[in-house]
Amino acid sequence: MKKAWIVLLLLLNGCQIRTLNPHSQVAGDQAMLIYLSFAIMIVVMAVVFVLLIRFAWKYKQTAKNKDDVPEEINSNKRLEIMWTLFPVLLLAILAVPTVVVTYHVSPESRNGTDNAAANEAAIHIQVTAERYDWTFTYENGKQSNRLVLPVGEQAILHLQSEDVIHSFWVPELGGKQDVIPGKEILFEVTPDKTGTFLGKCAEFCGVNHALMRFDTDVLQEKAYRNWLQEE
Amino acid sequence: MTLPIWDNVLYMPGDVIAAWIMMLLVGPILLLWLSKTKKWPLVWEYMRTTNHRKIGSMYVLFGFLFFLRGGIDALLMRTQLAVPENNFWVFQGDKYNEVFSTHGTMMIFFAAMPLLIGLMNIAVPLQIGARDMAFPFLNAVSFWMFLAGGMLFNMAFFLDSSPNAGWTAYTPLSTDTYTQTEGNDYYLFALQVSGLGTTLTAVNMIVTILRHRAPGMKWNRMPLFPWATLVTSLLILVAFPVLTIALFLLMFERLFDTSFFSGEAGNPVYWQHLFWIFGHPEVYILALPAFGIFSDVISTFSRKKVFGYTAMVLSLCLIGFLGFMVWAHHMFTVGLGPMANTFFAITTMLIAIPTGIKVFNWLFTMRNGVVRFTVPMLFALAFIPTFVMGGVTGVMLSVAAADMQFHDTHFVVAHFHYTIIGSTILGVFAGIYYWYPKITGKLLDRRLGIWHLGLFITGFHLTFFLMHITGLNGMPRRTYTYQWGENLFAFNFISTIGAFLMGAGMAVFIWNIIRTRQSGDHAGADPWQGRTLEWLVSSPAPEHPFTKQPVVDQRDAFWYAKQAGRRMAAGTDSRPAPIAGKTIQPLCIGAILWLLSLSMIYQWWILAVLSGVLVLVMFLLRTWRDERINTIGKEGTADE
Repeated sequence: MKKAWIVLLLLLNGCQIRTLNPHSQVAGDQAMLIYLSFAIMIVVMAVVFVLLIRFAWKYKQTAKNKDDVPEEINSNKRLEIMWTLFPVLLLAILAVPTVVVTYHVSPESRNGTDNAAANEAAIHIQVTAERYDWTFTYENGKQSNRLVLPVGEQAILHLQSEDVIHSFWVPELGGKQDVIPGKEILFEVTPDKTGTFLGKCAEFCGVNHALMRFDTDVLQEKAYRNWLQEE
Repeated sequence: MTLPIWDNVLYMPGDVIAAWIMMLLVGPILLLWLSKTKKWPLVWEYMRTTNHRKIGSMYVLFGFLFFLRGGIDALLMRTQLAVPENNFWVFQGDKYNEVFSTHGTMMIFFAAMPLLIGLMNIAVPLQIGARDMAFPFLNAVSFWMFLAGGMLFNMAFFLDSSPNAGWTAYTPLSTDTYTQTEGNDYYLFALQVSGLGTTLTAVNMIVTILRHRAPGMKWNRMPLFPWATLVTSLLILVAFPVLTIALFLLMFERLFDTSFFSGEAGNPVYWQHLFWIFGHPEVYILALPAFGIFSDVISTFSRKKVFGYTAMVLSLCLIGFLGFMVWAHHMFTVGLGPMANTFFAITTMLIAIPTGIKVFNWLFTMRNGVVRFTVPMLFALAFIPTFVMGGVTGVMLSVAAADMQFHDTHFVVAHFHYTIIGSTILGVFAGIYYWYPKITGKLLDRRLGIWHLGLFITGFHLTFFLMHITGLNGMPRRTYTYQWGENLFAFNFISTIGAFLMGAGMAVFIWNIIRTRQSGDHAGADPWQGRTLEWLVSSPAPEHPFTKQPVVDQRDAFWYAKQAGRRMAAGTDSRPAPIAGKTIQPLCIGAILWLLSLSMIYQWWILAVLSGVLVLVMFLLRTWRDERINTIGKEGTADE
C-alpha cells in the first residue's frame, strides 16, 4: 500500500496533474490545500494501516491459541481519549487554512452594492452558458467561443445561464463555479502565468454535456490587446 | 435500430432490443424450471408470507438481482470510457446519460437499501430475541412496495424511457422543459413508492427494537447491529419524508406545470437543498448498518467483546445527528456564500471524529484476541482500509475551497464508491456469508468466498483508486468521452480492467451460491462460535423462534452461557408476540400502487383515480381486521 502512495506522489509530480499545476492565485491556494489535506490524511492512513496489519498478523488464530478465550478488555480511557483528541488536533490544523481560503474564494451572487461588479480597474467579461456552448462577450463587444485573458490582470467573469445549471471550470485557473439560470454570479480570477488550457462544463446538463468544452488562452498584455482588436 | 411495424417506424436502441431478446429467452426457461422442480407452491408461499426471515430473504434476493443490473450498467459505462473518443455500441450522448442515471438510482435505492433492509429483517429480530417483526403485515407491505418501485424502475428501460437526469435529478434539467420523455416520471414514481415502503420499514424496526427485546436485554446489552438499525431507522424516519416531499414537488412541476423550481417565484437550487437534506443522511443510512454488521463480525471472529461499546453506540448516534448538518457540502460550488461554505466545511470535518473512534475501536477489538480468518472476517479486514481511504478523501472534500476543484469530477466518484462499496457492499457480503446459515441452513464455501473477495477488492481498487487522479486531472463525472491529448487514457483503461475484475468476483459469488445449494455442508445452530442470540435458534431460523424468550443477563449473554457450560434461562414474561399469518393483501397493495404509478406516468387519469381509491380501500379494510383478537388468547394459553 505504501508503495502505491509513493507511486502516486511521483505521478502527481510527473505528469502535470491539471489542478496541481496552478496558473492563478486562487488555483494556487486550492492546490496548497489539496497538498496539505493529503499530507495530513497520509498520517491518518499510515496509523490505521500499520495497526491493522500488526493486529491481524500478531493475533491471528494458530494451532496453539485456537481454543484460547482471550481476556476481556472493554475499554481503555487513555487510548480512547487519545484517538478522540488526535483527530481533533489534525482537523484543527486543516480547518484554519480552510476557513481563510474559503472566505477568500467563495463568490457572492450579484447584488446592487457588490464591490466586484463595480470594480472599474478589472476586465469584465460576460460568460453565457447555453446547452452546449460557451459564449464570451468582451468589453469592446467582441464575442467569441474562446476565453482569452491577459496575464497579471484581474478579470471578473459574469456567469449566466440561458437554460439549465452548468458549471464553469478551468482547472489551472481554479474553480469551479456553477452557472445558475436566473442569476448572475461573479467569478474573479487573476492569471499569473501564460498558457492554453481546456475548460469544461462540470455540471451535468444534458445530451452533449461531455462536449461542452472551451479553450482558454492566457496571453501577454499586448497579445491580448491585439486579439481583442481582431475581427 | 429502426423497426418497421405496419406503417409506422419504431426506433429502438440496440441494447433495449438485446434486453428484450434476453428476457424472452430467460423468462420461459425460468418458468419451465419452476414447474419442473415443482417450485410453484414455494413461490405461492413466499407471495403470502409475513415471516421476517422470508421477507428478508426476498429483499436480499431482489436487491441482489438489481445489484447485478446496476453492475452491468457500470460495465457498459466503463467500456465506453476505456479509450478516448470511443464509440462503444449505443452508449454516447443521451444513452450514456440514461445508463449512469439508472446505475446510480438502482444501486442506492434498489440494491444497497434492500440488501441492508433484508439483512436487518433476517438478523435483528433474532439478535434481540423477538419472535418476529412488530408488524408482520406492514413488513410485507413494505417489501411489496419496494418491489413495485423496483419493477417500475426496471420497466422504464424495456420501454426505452430510462431516466436521464442523473440519480440526483437536478432541476431545471429534470423538469419537463428540458427532459420531455417519461423517463424522469418513472424515476419519480419508482422512488416514491419504494421510498414509502422504506419509511414504513423504519417504523416497524423502531417498534420492534423498542418493544420486543428479550427480557433483560437492556439498551447497554443490545448487540451493535440492532443499535445501528435503530439509529438508521430514526434517520430514515426524518430523511425519507423530505425525499417524498421533494419528489411530490417535482411531480407537480412535471405533470401539472407548477413552478417550484423555475420561473420568477421558484428557484432551481431549492431542489438541491431538499435532495441533499435527504441525500446526505441517506449516505449514513447506507453506512451505519454496515458498521453494525462489521462490529458483530469483528467481535465474533476476534473472540472478544466489542472494544469501547459505549463509545461505539455514542458515535453511531453522533454520526447520525451530524449527518443532518452537512448537506450543503454537496453544494460548495453553487455560490451559497462564504459563511455557509465555511460552516458546512467545519461540520463535515467533525464527522471524521466519531468515525475515527469507530475505526480504532474495531482495531482494538482485534487486539489481544484470537483472530479467525473466516470469509466474513476477511471482508471486515478489507473494509477497514478501504473505508478509511474513502473517509480521508471525505475530509479532503470537506475543505470547501479545495472542493471547488474536486466537485463533480471523478475524484468525487472515487470517494463515494470507496465509502459506499467499502462499507455498504462489503458489509452486505460479510453479512450474507455470516448469516447464510440462518437463511438457508448451509455455509457458503470458504475457498470460493476468498476468490470472490480477492477478485472483487483487487478490481475495486484498480477501478476507483485511479479515478482520484483522473478527477484531479480534469475529468468531470457524467461525461461519456474525453480527448486523446488530456493524459487520461492509461488511467481510464486500467479502471475498465478493474471493473471487469469486480464483475468476475461477482460471478464467483453466484457460482458459490449455486454450488452451496447443490452440495454445501449443513450448518448447525452455531457454526461460527457466535456471541449473540441468533445463534441460539436452529439453522435455518424457524418460523417461530424463541417460543420462550431467553433471559439476557449481560451483553453477549449467549457466549458467556456457553463458556459456563449452561443453557440460557427461559423467560416467563410472555409479552404478546406478533402474529404471523398468510395473506395475499400486501402483494395486491404493491401491485395496485404499481398500476397507480403507471397510470400517473402516462396520465391515464381515470385509471389513476380508480387504483388510488382501490389502494385506499385496501388499507381501510386492513384497519378493520385484527388477527390478534382471535390468536392472543389462544397463544397465551398455548405458550405457558
